[in-house]
Amino acid sequence: MRTIKNKLGQWVIGALTLMTLMSLAFVIYFIIQEALPLFAEVSLSDFLLGDRWMPIAFTGEPSFGIRNFLLGTLYVSFLAMAIASVTGIGAAIWLACVADDTIRNWLYPLISLLAGIPSVIFGLIGLTILVPFFYRLGVHPGSCVLCAAIVLAVMLLPYIISSCADTLYKLNKRYLTAATGLGVTKWYAITTVILPLSVKYLATSLMLAIGRAMGETMAVMMVMGNANLFPSLLGKGETIAAVIALEMGTAENGSLHYHGLYAAGLVLLLLLFFINLSMGLLRKVLLGKEEL
Amino acid sequence: MRFLSKLVRIWAWLGIITVLGVLAFLFTYVYYRGRHVLSVAFLTQAPSGAVLGEEGGIYPAIIGSFWFTGTAILLGSIPAIGTALYLVYFCQSEKKVLALRLTIQCMAGVPSIVLGLFAYSFLVKMLGLGRCILSSGVALGIMILPFIEVRAEKAFQEFPVSLVQASQALGVSKTYLILHMVLPACRGEIVQSIVLGGCYAMGATAPLLFTGAVAYASVPDSLFKPAMALPMHLYLLISQGATSIDLAYGTAFVMMAIILVTNLIAILYARRRHRIWKQS
Repeated sequence: MRTIKNKLGQWVIGALTLMTLMSLAFVIYFIIQEALPLFAEVSLSDFLLGDRWMPIAFTGEPSFGIRNFLLGTLYVSFLAMAIASVTGIGAAIWLACVADDTIRNWLYPLISLLAGIPSVIFGLIGLTILVPFFYRLGVHPGSCVLCAAIVLAVMLLPYIISSCADTLYKLNKRYLTAATGLGVTKWYAITTVILPLSVKYLATSLMLAIGRAMGETMAVMMVMGNANLFPSLLGKGETIAAVIALEMGTAENGSLHYHGLYAAGLVLLLLLFFINLSMGLLRKVLLGKEEL
Repeated sequence: MRFLSKLVRIWAWLGIITVLGVLAFLFTYVYYRGRHVLSVAFLTQAPSGAVLGEEGGIYPAIIGSFWFTGTAILLGSIPAIGTALYLVYFCQSEKKVLALRLTIQCMAGVPSIVLGLFAYSFLVKMLGLGRCILSSGVALGIMILPFIEVRAEKAFQEFPVSLVQASQALGVSKTYLILHMVLPACRGEIVQSIVLGGCYAMGATAPLLFTGAVAYASVPDSLFKPAMALPMHLYLLISQGATSIDLAYGTAFVMMAIILVTNLIAILYARRRHRIWKQS
């Protein structure tokens, strides 16, 4: 009886694991399968490098080029990451090196609450505060890539802060006493010992945060203007996620437009997989035996 | 170098001040704009008005959001916890563990809009479920699965190895060990991970687009019907050009209050229960 129970438990857990794997495999299979018909009509280079996105042939040939969307996604994600890392790493240094345990234990959950705010709310606040602000500054429609990057940066902050503060805290614990024991001040030790040591850990966490930024849809879509333009700092732009969200409902099932949206989704998916896997592996290699 | 260290010091202070400033601003601003709208009627009436939602309340959206979240939790958390248990207690080979971890990492990287696209074509169109809570629930469930798995796995790994070894020395089966020791001991973290996953699902809009959330529906009574959801309602209020943004802030305030209060309770609950075996 007991062995039967034991076997049953093992079996259930195995089945659940298989279910997890199958669901992911199926999602990916489905997306690839729905994306492929597009490439029978449009070449890969035209798709990635073309700048005309005319999925429905009102006038002339339909055309599928996602260059601007792809660049828009990359531009806004990297810009957001840059903004978020400047403030986030600063805050992480403070949390790891200045705050005592009580303050840290209060601020950690507080900052992680930021991660719980839904993205539409960030979009709403961006739309009612940042967009009019940029409009008053003379950026004409108000919504622009910089605006989206700022909103996205705020959304990335909790992830960047928590991973960076963890790393810095552990390094701090390991080396700070030794360094200050040699007679240098705390800030000197942080600048010359801890920060240089932390660079490789921080770099990989930042790249993982970029992956998160690229998949973000709603908040970015609401403040970026959504126009198929070559992205510029104060101009409108559109991300791949936004194209899918805006056009999914109007694409006729099985049409080239529909397959085009799947192809765009596949490009985004592959980009994220590449970033996540390479950073995950790089982290393993960099960390090696010296797991913090 | 001394100059540089001064710079780092300023950087740290500016960083934390900016972050806390943004945090305080976000919460107070949403509260400030949303509090006028809040009333019993707003919470208990259905939306109405020329642009839907300009008048009336958000009651069906609140209830609908709970349906979506519940479905997502049901579909997402069980396989997530199963996978976490498998990884920590049953998987013997290093390579398998690594492969599974990478798969979970990939899954966490699938953008939510792509999951929405998948649910829309596969469940809504191909299987003919139509727009319904279940279709969205599947997309949300897949979205929160890796989120819960990572946290649950971390909790299981913190369960002391000495207890596992002791139980094995006594000839206790793994299933018994998991059911009677690991799961009760990690209850705090597991509940927290599920609740946080639920909050994440409740705030997500992209997987709901075209899969199950609609502009207007009455309070749902079945998984096979479409429903309103708070984030979708908020998005539609803004994008369809309601004359006043106040009701949008009211909706945002309610949504944020639900999510943050639940979040906070889960965090505090887990902290109170955290590693009971380490306190003694």
